[in-house]
Amino acid sequence: MDETSNERQRILKARAAALAREPEKSTSEAERLEVVEFLLADERYAIESAYIGEVYPLKDLTPLPCTPAFVLGVINMRGKILSVIDLRIFFDLPNRGLSDLNKVIVLHHGAMEFGVLADAIIAARWIPRSDLLATLPTLTEIRAEYLMGVTEERLVVLDGGKILSDRSIVVHEEV
Amino acid sequence: MIDKDAEFLKRLLVTFKVEADEHLKGMCSGLLELEQGALPERQTELVEFIFREAHSLKGAARAVNQVEIEALCQALESIFASLKKLELPASPGLFDLLQEALDLLARILPDSGAERPHDDKTLQRRLISRLEEAGKRKIAITEDSLPPFQGEGRGGDGVDGVDDVISASSHNELHPHPNLPLEGEGTKSSKSALIPIPSAMPDTVRVSTARLTSVLLQSEEMLSAKLASSQHVLDLRATATAFDSWSKEWARVKPLVQKFKSSKTQGENDEATHKKRSLTRLLDFLDWNSDFMKSLETRFTAEVKSAERDSRALGGMTNNLLEDMKKVLMFPFSSLLEILPKIVRDLSRENGKKIELTISGDDIEIDRRILEEMKDPLVHLVRNCIDHGIENPAERRAKGKPQLGTIRIAVLPRDDKVELTIADDGGGIALDGIRSALLKSGMLSAERVAELSDQELMTHVFQSGITTSPIITEISGRGLGLAIVREKVEKLGGSVSVESTTCSGTSFRIVLPLTVATFRGILVRLGERLFVLPAMYVARVLRIKQEEIKTVENRETISLDGEPVSLARLAAVLELPVSGRETMASDLLPVVLLAASDTRIAFQVDEVLGELEVLLKGLGRQLSRVRNVAGATVLGNGHVAPILNVTDLLKSAVKNAAYSSQRSAVTDTGEPANRLRSVLVVEDSITTRTLLKNILESSGYAVVTAVDGMDGFSRLKNGSFDIVVSDVDMPRMNGFELTSKIRSDREYGDLPVVLVTALASREDRERGIDAGANAYIVKSSFDQSNLLEVMKKLI
Repeated sequence: MDETSNERQRILKARAAALAREPEKSTSEAERLEVVEFLLADERYAIESAYIGEVYPLKDLTPLPCTPAFVLGVINMRGKILSVIDLRIFFDLPNRGLSDLNKVIVLHHGAMEFGVLADAIIAARWIPRSDLLATLPTLTEIRAEYLMGVTEERLVVLDGGKILSDRSIVVHEEV
Repeated sequence: MIDKDAEFLKRLLVTFKVEADEHLKGMCSGLLELEQGALPERQTELVEFIFREAHSLKGAARAVNQVEIEALCQALESIFASLKKLELPASPGLFDLLQEALDLLARILPDSGAERPHDDKTLQRRLISRLEEAGKRKIAITEDSLPPFQGEGRGGDGVDGVDDVISASSHNELHPHPNLPLEGEGTKSSKSALIPIPSAMPDTVRVSTARLTSVLLQSEEMLSAKLASSQHVLDLRATATAFDSWSKEWARVKPLVQKFKSSKTQGENDEATHKKRSLTRLLDFLDWNSDFMKSLETRFTAEVKSAERDSRALGGMTNNLLEDMKKVLMFPFSSLLEILPKIVRDLSRENGKKIELTISGDDIEIDRRILEEMKDPLVHLVRNCIDHGIENPAERRAKGKPQLGTIRIAVLPRDDKVELTIADDGGGIALDGIRSALLKSGMLSAERVAELSDQELMTHVFQSGITTSPIITEISGRGLGLAIVREKVEKLGGSVSVESTTCSGTSFRIVLPLTVATFRGILVRLGERLFVLPAMYVARVLRIKQEEIKTVENRETISLDGEPVSLARLAAVLELPVSGRETMASDLLPVVLLAASDTRIAFQVDEVLGELEVLLKGLGRQLSRVRNVAGATVLGNGHVAPILNVTDLLKSAVKNAAYSSQRSAVTDTGEPANRLRSVLVVEDSITTRTLLKNILESSGYAVVTAVDGMDGFSRLKNGSFDIVVSDVDMPRMNGFELTSKIRSDREYGDLPVVLVTALASREDRERGIDAGANAYIVKSSFDQSNLLEVMKKLI
């Protein structure tokens, strides 16, 4: 047997062992949060994974007339039309820097579903709830009601459930 | 483990809910038919049927620990057992009690595990004891109330005896095995033992609608694959024609080649021989080249043929798939109409009216999505019939009509459409009522109202804010309902009309498409954006001369068939920047005449691109309703185009009239509007491109975009620009290369170029300046006022 196939065997074994390991106790699961971390205009944000359906590449955005500024437009996601929102405008954040929005994070909860734009997806990770600090007004300009907290490393954890159930994000306008 | 059990129970409850709904529906419709007085044999059948439904529901409830439902079903079952044995007379009071029990059952079905309020439980206890009491009123005591049902009363000692007979067949369901499959088998086996499955629906499976919808969406996506493939074939054919021009060129030089080949050696010296040898090699190569090209052409032609074949096959398969997929989603109207008998019964009781409901054609099938959308409008119309239409018995008697009012619902196929009629034999819509409502709403002047014919007047009932009901009741009279009915129906691509005769009734006619089918749309362009206008509202597409636009009462109008028609700019109505392109007086302006109900307005667009088949898709939950936009569609190239809402557009255009008059004021004085500065934005990222475009457009620039340097340069050649804003890092030709190319061009050498880039290093900046850029803005420090200031300085 040559060197590489031995090596391959070893890696596969190690992987199998890692996969076979019992997940950590569920008691700790209540104390930590699974989030997806992403980059938006040079700031790092995170949203709880439970609210994230998928991440979709932004290919072809069609702007819609007569919509509020935070609605950037709609995309065609496998035959379904999905509205796409710029959280910076929705949060009234000052527009600093031109960002390279090229990922759509699809948020969903119950029947509500829409996409928010991100510059890049950094990682899916667990953060201990105890790491979440009550927000200091100096740390972020986002209103406290949309935040779950901020970690020491300045990761802003958004409250996905709150954003998804916010009435002001729904557009319903008659002429 | 506990978690798993809870999870299992939860899934079991979902299955139970589906099954319980079916049993409940069966009981409900059976009970209604019974109450309306069926033939004796049918009565026996019905009682038996309801009894079995109650029994099955009881068993299913026991299996999932729904004690309350079980108890209620037990009580119901006892009543029907007595009815079966003709021990109990059927009285109106009993029917009311039974309906009440069914209502409660529907309410207490487990739904997302929410705890029920306490008063439901008390209500239930009271209901059960009332049911038990009713069960005791055996025939001997109340013999005079109503004749008992006829039929073969089977002897026995009450409920238990009957239970014995069927317990064998329903054993399975009372003690379900934990490994029993959740869907299908378990419920089916118990059901098939009790009620024979109708033979019209053999071999059915239950699939969740969410899954079906997802499959449908994916099949619809195949449509873009089909369109892309036929586009590909067209491109290949275009490439194939390139061989023709080669052939032509070759034919021209071929004699020359032949001549050289046959010519004799003229020089005798070495140099000449050498030359001759080289020439021969060259000529041989040309011959080989020609053969090579010919074989290439043959191969290419074959490839085109096979691509055509594949494209045709794909097209055929896609069409078949979509056709079948649509059929999968077809449901009979009965699934929508079955909710009506109960509504009519309950509401007519509440209003003290006597109403009979007749339904016909409910076996006609239609797209499930249309049925879903039609539920609210239909219920609204039926409520209207009961609340406003049919008079109370005393009134009817006075008019010499039968006391029993009728609501008739008929479904009729009409070519590839379906016509749904909701008619009542009530008092009709009072025309005077509409007149005064119109005057009160202030929508029309008194003279105009007086001019309206009866039929014209009638169309106004669909306008929001118009109600003829003098009082606002819980169910209707707010004047919103019919407007919503029309909006929903029109959104589905249907139409609604009303006919009414005083005293003899009102009839609403709704024409619906059979499927959420594609419809014809007119594709128009505004700047760089594309929009679709539903063709059914497009009365005409025309081109007009600038001088044909007249200003009447401060509004722009054009004359059509001798009548003035208002003219609006579609871009302005949609709140988009109006394109700055200067229009020559001689230019013909493309105009689309839109018409809905009795309004006609002409809309000026930048270009009418043609007619196409579109499929309306919703904008999703977050965009619940967008002004002027009905939905979106996916075009053949995969791009999404908004479909406009014509009813909204007409309203918006009227509101926008003020804007229009401003523009005409300028035109009147003959001053040309300030020419917009035009910008070419070259950027490969779609978002940055869109963002830049929005910033620049809202600052009053006319913007044309390009996706990379190559595209940018060719656009530059085809238009006139005041400035170029370009990204640096792009495929094919980057920003530096584009800048150098512009600088070295004779015509555009002086054009200002602003580079906007993520590359912040000094070297990059110097490279940009070397290439000849006028400004270099780093994205991370980007600020829109900064860019606008720089641009202002440069132009």
